[in-house]
Amino acid sequence: MNNALIIGQYVPGNSLIHRLDPRTKITIVFFFVIIVFFANNVPSYSLLTAFSVLCVLISRVPLQFILKGLLPVWFLIIFTFILHLIITNEGNLLVNWGFIKIYSGGVIQGLAISLRFFLLILTTSLLTLTTTPIEITDAMEEMLHPLKKIKFPVHELALMMSISLRFIPTLMQETDKISRAQAARGVDFRTGPVKDRVMAVIPLLVPLFVSAFKRAEDLAMAMEARGYQGGEGRSKLRELHIGTKDILVLTGFVLMLAALFFLRQ
Amino acid sequence: MEIQFKDVSYIYQENTPFAHKALENISFKVGSGSFVAVIGHTGSGKSTLIQHLNGLSLPSRGEITIGDFRLSADGKPKNIRDLRRKVGVVFQYPEHQLFEETVAKDIAFGPKNFDVKQEEINLRIEKLFPAVGLSEELLERSPFDLSGGQKRRVAIAGVLAMAPEVLVLDEPTAGLDPRGQREIMDMFYQLHQEQNLTTVLVTHSMEDALAYADKIIILNKGQKYMEGSPLDVFKQTEKLQKVQLGVPEVIHFLNQYNERFGTSLNYQYQSMPELAEEIKKQLEVGSHE
Repeated sequence: MNNALIIGQYVPGNSLIHRLDPRTKITIVFFFVIIVFFANNVPSYSLLTAFSVLCVLISRVPLQFILKGLLPVWFLIIFTFILHLIITNEGNLLVNWGFIKIYSGGVIQGLAISLRFFLLILTTSLLTLTTTPIEITDAMEEMLHPLKKIKFPVHELALMMSISLRFIPTLMQETDKISRAQAARGVDFRTGPVKDRVMAVIPLLVPLFVSAFKRAEDLAMAMEARGYQGGEGRSKLRELHIGTKDILVLTGFVLMLAALFFLRQ
Repeated sequence: MEIQFKDVSYIYQENTPFAHKALENISFKVGSGSFVAVIGHTGSGKSTLIQHLNGLSLPSRGEITIGDFRLSADGKPKNIRDLRRKVGVVFQYPEHQLFEETVAKDIAFGPKNFDVKQEEINLRIEKLFPAVGLSEELLERSPFDLSGGQKRRVAIAGVLAMAPEVLVLDEPTAGLDPRGQREIMDMFYQLHQEQNLTTVLVTHSMEDALAYADKIIILNKGQKYMEGSPLDVFKQTEKLQKVQLGVPEVIHFLNQYNERFGTSLNYQYQSMPELAEEIKKQLEVGSHE
């Protein structure tokens, strides 16, 4: 199993964030992703950081777990920081090594962009950490409902999404199983020259594709056998509904938005 | 090769909310050349245990010795490749690992990874093919065109072609028809004896454990629940029932027969027909008196 990356993993819980309607969460994350780009000074960035940290605290997902899980993304964040540090030339000259010149503007720019990036990833991964994939697809289907008027296949899209989400863990298990079986037959996925390592992927991919196609076939057959015929007239086991807490949270979010526009320059 | 587990524990995804203890303080010893059956319910840690036998998983605590190889939490030993060559693992549904264009190439894949020469591989295939019950005309076919049972046999041949000294079998007969199951188990047993292999069999079948193993280890919730010879283990019917495990049909029948008629027939590896003969004889003696 891939233990390093936690994006897309769900951590069961019963916090306020877990219990919110998924549509509320998606709406908030959607707007948050946009307004992150509007922050432009210390107070506004502090506000956004405080908001995301507060969300993490309320969700009771261990902070350490999230930070460790974002390990692969840290690389990108640090890379962005360094890039901005080097290419921006505004403000006072701080360091001059001849070929590398670091300006104060670069430090500020780098910090701001990295923070933006971090907040984006933190909030979006918090969404998937506290919302089951089923809830997310249900919410997407509901939210895209108006598009049905222009013959956009909303239900089919949601179905495709839930099927693919449903099979991610299955395929990961399958990959794990096959790679173990091949490792037992002497394949080395981790060491050796690059060419050998690329070749080592073939004994993994071929069986994986074969089983994925087989699964797809079985699933289609099973759905047809049980009379599946698309979204028309189909009822749901769990109806989504917006409650008081959703309205409260949304109101809070709007207030924060107002505060942000008040704080920014 | 001798296998020894010393206080081995294994924890999945340690230090995350998903941490899960799969093995807890497992200790046992398997002598070179013996046949061990590992029995337990789904989730009892059988498959995890197997992955420790060739270093696919390393113990979180404790130590494992397999021949001259030592495995512990400190990291992989450098000679892990040698270990993998000497320990052949037939995983559950091994046919899922087939990928080559032809059966011959797929079988050669394992030994080739361990630098065995093509001529030697061909010799091995020649010997193996009749043993696993396949005919040579299949060699040039695609493994994906074969029937389920044939695929299974090809995959098994792929592991055996590595000429391992320890053979690890994870429910190798799951999903086969009764005849295929018996053929494959008999084949493994024959190989075990002929080549003096050390065999570890994970199974649900008490019948197989009784028929082939000279030692049984029962796992329950990641812990060793029982260990001993088949006769010793299957004597303790009640202890087995506590973890929802039964005893083989023959022994179950014998126990019930003894209880019902107040007799005291002993179990000495008789088959059902042999037992029937024995009972018949006893009844005849009884009626003459």
